[in-house]
Amino acid sequence: MAYKPQYYPGATSVAANRRKHMSGDVEKLREISEDDLVMVLGHRPPGSDYRSTHPPLAEMGEPECSIRQTVEPTPGAKAGDRVRYVQFVDSMYNGTSVPYFRTYNAAINFRGVDPGTLSGRQVIEARERDMEEVAKFQIETEMFDPALSSLRGATVHGHSLRLPEDGVMFDMLDRARLESDGIVKMHKDQVGRPIDKKVELGKPMSAKEAAKRTTIYRVDNVAFRSDTEVLEWVHRVFDQRTKYGFKPE
Amino acid sequence: MPDTSSDTIEHLQLEIVPQRLLKPETAQALLNGILGLEGVIRLFVHGPRLPGTVPYGPAKGTAMTHNSRRLIEIEGNMVELVVSVGSIRLEVEDADVKEQVHEICEKILPFPFEFREGNFMLRRQTVSGYARFGPDQNPLLVGLTDPKGKLRDQVCILKKE
Repeated sequence: MAYKPQYYPGATSVAANRRKHMSGDVEKLREISEDDLVMVLGHRPPGSDYRSTHPPLAEMGEPECSIRQTVEPTPGAKAGDRVRYVQFVDSMYNGTSVPYFRTYNAAINFRGVDPGTLSGRQVIEARERDMEEVAKFQIETEMFDPALSSLRGATVHGHSLRLPEDGVMFDMLDRARLESDGIVKMHKDQVGRPIDKKVELGKPMSAKEAAKRTTIYRVDNVAFRSDTEVLEWVHRVFDQRTKYGFKPE
Repeated sequence: MPDTSSDTIEHLQLEIVPQRLLKPETAQALLNGILGLEGVIRLFVHGPRLPGTVPYGPAKGTAMTHNSRRLIEIEGNMVELVVSVGSIRLEVEDADVKEQVHEICEKILPFPFEFREGNFMLRRQTVSGYARFGPDQNPLLVGLTDPKGKLRDQVCILKKE
């Protein structure tokens, strides 16, 4: 019988969503074009070539190495792309993907990525075209909510603040706005530089929908303590970590 | 021993914390409602800053306009709102005014809010405040400003008398 990874324990909707994000088996909710994505990432002008830091691997004449022969380089590494980043912020008010689960999603489902997990933000570094692939995946699926998630390369605070009246997570740099047509549009790139056109991110999820799709445990939605299986495993991990770390000299 | 307090009358201090950060329009309506009452002594708004330029990152220094950073009209004075209003702290004369403030909040705020009484503003000068402003500081301004900041950037005096 083929091995099927279990990813995460728990019987609640939050645990199920965590499993979905880790496995990459997430629902696609929206489309973002290549040019729009490149524009909001702000690393190169849309339509331009990828800039490189070294010649393509095929031209470099790599040394004899069994690992290099075994591991197929990612498209970005093969072409010699620069390493670039995308950074996400998710609101504590039922944001779709809390930082750890963005990291798990990237690390499990994509190659050549270097995810960084922080308390309120999550950064993924990779060769430029590989990074764009991860960013596109995460923006187009249920891992992203235009109102409660945001692309923020700098000035990330807002994730832990109360939501503004319109329900779009507070952003000091005002990168994305809920327009009168009910669609959230970005008019700046991820670091706050104005861009040439407004990039549509789609309609925000309703509060009910966000509560259904979130990966964050909250007492006012699904409480962590209500998920007994998760709690049992967390206790087990802490217990074993403590015992195995105990080394009487 | 003499009382070194700048304000020896014990006024009530209140804090209003709405469940959401307020839009400038709601903030304007609420502030005008509260300041229209007799018996409100001083008030300050508190919340995340809305900068005029990008403060950090590769775009540092780029001029920007936040949608919520607007001029609002308070009691006939145009005031630039430089924060997204998250809470309002105020000092009122007595419990009657407190009740009226609560009624105004219920009328204007379309979502739940916390409303509490406590100590939210300085009632007497601190040592650094004394060093910066001296012994003759207006008691109304005690604790309203950062001793290192500029007064005119932080305080708006609505009733000139």
